[in-house]
Amino acid sequence: MKLFQTTLLLVVITAAIQMTGCKPKGATGAVTGSATKAYVAPGKYDEFYNFVSGGFSGQMSVYGLPSGRLFRVIPVFSVDPEKGWGYSEETKPMLMTSNGFVPWDDLHHISFSQTNGEIDGRWSFGNANNTPRVARIDNKTFRTAEILELPNSAGNHSSPFITENSEYLVAGTRFSVPVGDNQDVPIASYKQNFKGTISFISIGKEGDLDIAFQLLLPGVNFDLSRAGKGPSHGWFFFSCYNSEQANTLLEVNASQRDKDFILAVNWKKAEEYLKAGKGVKQQVRYAHNKWDEKTHTAKHEIRTEVTVLDPAILKDICYFIPCPKSPHGCDTDPTGEYIVGSGKLAAVIPVFSFTKMQKAIADKKYDGEFGGIPVINYEAALHGEVQKPGLGPLHTEFDANGNAYTSFFVSSEIVKWNVKSLKVLDRVPTYYSIGHLSVPGGDTRKPWGKYVVAYNKITKDRYLPTGPELTQSAQIYDISGDKMELILDFPTIGEPHYAGSMPASLIKDKSLKIFKIEENQHPYVAKGEKEAKVVREGKKVHVYMTSIRSHFAPDNIEGVKVGDEVYFHVTNLEQDWDVPHGFAVKGALNAELLIMPGETSTLKWVPEKVGVYPIYCTDFCSALHQEMQGYVRVSPAGSNVPLTFHVGKQGAAAADSTSK
Amino acid sequence: MIIKEMPVMTFTQVMAGFLNKPLNSIRMKSNISSKARIISVVCAVALGVSLLFPLWRIDLTAPQYPEGLVLKIYPHKIGGNVEVVNGLNHYIGMRTLHTEDFIEFTILPYLIAIFALFGLLSALVKRRWFFYTWVFLFASFGVVAMIDFYRWEYDYGHNLDPNAAIVVPGMAYQPPLIGFKQLLNFGAYSFPDVGGYIFLSVGLILVITAVLEWKRAAKVSSAAILGLPLLLLLQSCNTSAEPIAFGKDQCHYCKMIISDRSFGAELITDKGKIYKFDDTHCILSFLKSGDLQQPQIAAVFLVDYAQKEKLIPAETAFLIRGDAIKGPMAGTIAAFETEASMQSFQQQWKAQQVSWNEVVSQ
Repeated sequence: MKLFQTTLLLVVITAAIQMTGCKPKGATGAVTGSATKAYVAPGKYDEFYNFVSGGFSGQMSVYGLPSGRLFRVIPVFSVDPEKGWGYSEETKPMLMTSNGFVPWDDLHHISFSQTNGEIDGRWSFGNANNTPRVARIDNKTFRTAEILELPNSAGNHSSPFITENSEYLVAGTRFSVPVGDNQDVPIASYKQNFKGTISFISIGKEGDLDIAFQLLLPGVNFDLSRAGKGPSHGWFFFSCYNSEQANTLLEVNASQRDKDFILAVNWKKAEEYLKAGKGVKQQVRYAHNKWDEKTHTAKHEIRTEVTVLDPAILKDICYFIPCPKSPHGCDTDPTGEYIVGSGKLAAVIPVFSFTKMQKAIADKKYDGEFGGIPVINYEAALHGEVQKPGLGPLHTEFDANGNAYTSFFVSSEIVKWNVKSLKVLDRVPTYYSIGHLSVPGGDTRKPWGKYVVAYNKITKDRYLPTGPELTQSAQIYDISGDKMELILDFPTIGEPHYAGSMPASLIKDKSLKIFKIEENQHPYVAKGEKEAKVVREGKKVHVYMTSIRSHFAPDNIEGVKVGDEVYFHVTNLEQDWDVPHGFAVKGALNAELLIMPGETSTLKWVPEKVGVYPIYCTDFCSALHQEMQGYVRVSPAGSNVPLTFHVGKQGAAAADSTSK
Repeated sequence: MIIKEMPVMTFTQVMAGFLNKPLNSIRMKSNISSKARIISVVCAVALGVSLLFPLWRIDLTAPQYPEGLVLKIYPHKIGGNVEVVNGLNHYIGMRTLHTEDFIEFTILPYLIAIFALFGLLSALVKRRWFFYTWVFLFASFGVVAMIDFYRWEYDYGHNLDPNAAIVVPGMAYQPPLIGFKQLLNFGAYSFPDVGGYIFLSVGLILVITAVLEWKRAAKVSSAAILGLPLLLLLQSCNTSAEPIAFGKDQCHYCKMIISDRSFGAELITDKGKIYKFDDTHCILSFLKSGDLQQPQIAAVFLVDYAQKEKLIPAETAFLIRGDAIKGPMAGTIAAFETEASMQSFQQQWKAQQVSWNEVVSQ
């Protein structure tokens, strides 16, 4: 009977082991001992600038690599009360569109100006995904210098990617929309009436943006794009999905075909047609806003014409290459020979060969047409497929050694593979659900390698919880060895999509420290306290105000009446680095001003109640910052209190009263 | 003796007593023992309690679900992260899970309650046939339930919307019946939950009790009783006979390749180690060498001479010995699974019938 007992005991133990031994294991993924690689000692500089898109924040943020330290959030498409962006009179025109003032947008992608296929450090670019626009950021000031709206576009997602000598920025529309005079059409007439457009935006010597031409294309969703480089310079490649041409429930209806397309555009050919006058001029309305550094003011204009080329008629500009299941990323490698398509739902990563593609075009190896554009035979253009790379491939960046790094959203990992051999070399998990990834210079002819940064959509248990809304994050992996190694997590502004990095040396020494006061051509500048004054023009009261440590001039103003429009034109007289002054008025239905040395900014204030209103400096400027304050007296509308102002001495100076 | 008069004992004490003591009072052959009655009551109560707990659970983990998702199958509903799982499954075109779509969740609580009641009744009725019926029905129910569960998983895993966003050719998403399976980015772990373990324990205890009751009535040797749990154990440890690869495997004793498909033997130790032999001569020599002690031997199998290659338990095999039998290593013993096949060869060879125990002890 002992044996029986033993048997029973064994059965119970076996069951118990099964109960405990077969449970899923919890997540792990802490950095193990590589944190020093991301450590930049206090007072030391980072090796790279990392410009990160803010997604729905509409801004661009600047971090250091490898420390992950945040340096600056550049306001681009969204208002930023902290910096007065979109609130000061000078910046309001930057956010004007053909629809009027738009205070917000969704910035997804970054690109940098290039010379000979290398990042040159002059400008950074960002796209507005909602109200289609592109922006140019001046890397000397880290400010938005220009914003150009895009007509015939909706959802400017496939943007702002750039050619290797900064000839063009492109802007491909995510939503196809009715184009032309009659736009009041049934949504269900998508196939007949909806068109996709791609804009080629020329970049002038000084960075000026102008739409050189638009390509009119079949109604699909353009997603991402990359310029050819080296041998493929002169071409541009765009991924597109929804070749099903669905207009509802795209999650299902746009996922039916085995293959969508990569669109190859021979833009040199398009230039020829343009020169030959084959373009059609179309009447449209779009905004062009440009910052003037001399007047410290933006100028907003509406442009009314765009030249459109139709590749269905003008042959040899466009070719479709079939690409498996809803391609997202479309990336060209540093040699310019290989084009990597990443089907979001595909089980392989196809890599196309530029040479084979050219040969297929020469041999006319086509599988019919789509919307009047030839479809190149898949195999004829294919270099090969990466087998079993992972689940949900999205984007690919490259290092200098012929390796590619692809992000996988569904399987939440980065996979390193060799571009020539198509062999998977390494994979690391990301936490969690990576979207874009970025290698310094990883989209150019000259990648610096060293790191790959993952931009993740989900952070869940990675940081202390902050209620339902959690931070998004980036993760830095060291790629200098054979194995990728996670070295740092850091939270980001908004939701990061694409980002780019460049060596600090390209920007660091060119960074502007101050604006020279003598070059200030602002119409309301006061280049010294002597020029400080208050001028009434009917209902408008212009305050020519100066700020210097630690007072405003004037700081006592009387004679303002309810219903007046008061414009505080505040000039920061400082000529020393890192001494901004702020300016705020109690009860103003507006934001603050943050004025850099040598700059003039204007805050509009319409007082609605009688009283004495404090004004003060908001940026801790000096030991006596708390003393940097003043008052504005507001009298009733019909009052006869004279307009006076002064600073420092009792007794008022008489105001100029030009009352027009 | 009725239940009330029993001293209060813990379940283990009851079990221990039950297992240790010879059953001395077999008064009513058609009745079950009082211990079996107590076990019936305990099992009935356990079944009642199991209604409160999930029977089964499917844990899902994915990179972006570090905390995991779980589906809990209660007797009356599906619980856990049902909505989240439904939301995810729509990408692959799997139908959504709803408690009301399963008739099982309406029937199951009643069935379990009936089985619990049946248990209480069998303690009251005391009749052996009643107890056996209960145990049989309950065991059958367990098997049917698992078949139903499998069918259900198969249906959901295979009948996918062809228009789904993600269609991986040839891919099905059927969770494992028990164990682990990777389904795209999700790892699925399917195991019993508290209720399920109660069920399994009740089933196991009842089957053992039934066998013991049967033994008490029929006075079967304890070895036979041990057969069942031992068999279970053998299977769970994966120590059942491993087929001999003829022409490839080596005889552990004589180191020659095992090639004659009519002869051969296999020995499995208590630790699951397997020794293979090409002839009874070799295994007997090995056993006599004393390298292994008797308790270390979990099982011995012999090749059936008539069926070739088939391994049969040595204990139950029909053996004959005769000089006409020519084993590869000069062995003179042949094994047969059935008596009939043995008899035909026995006459032909004029051999003598022997038992394994005799052979080993000689």
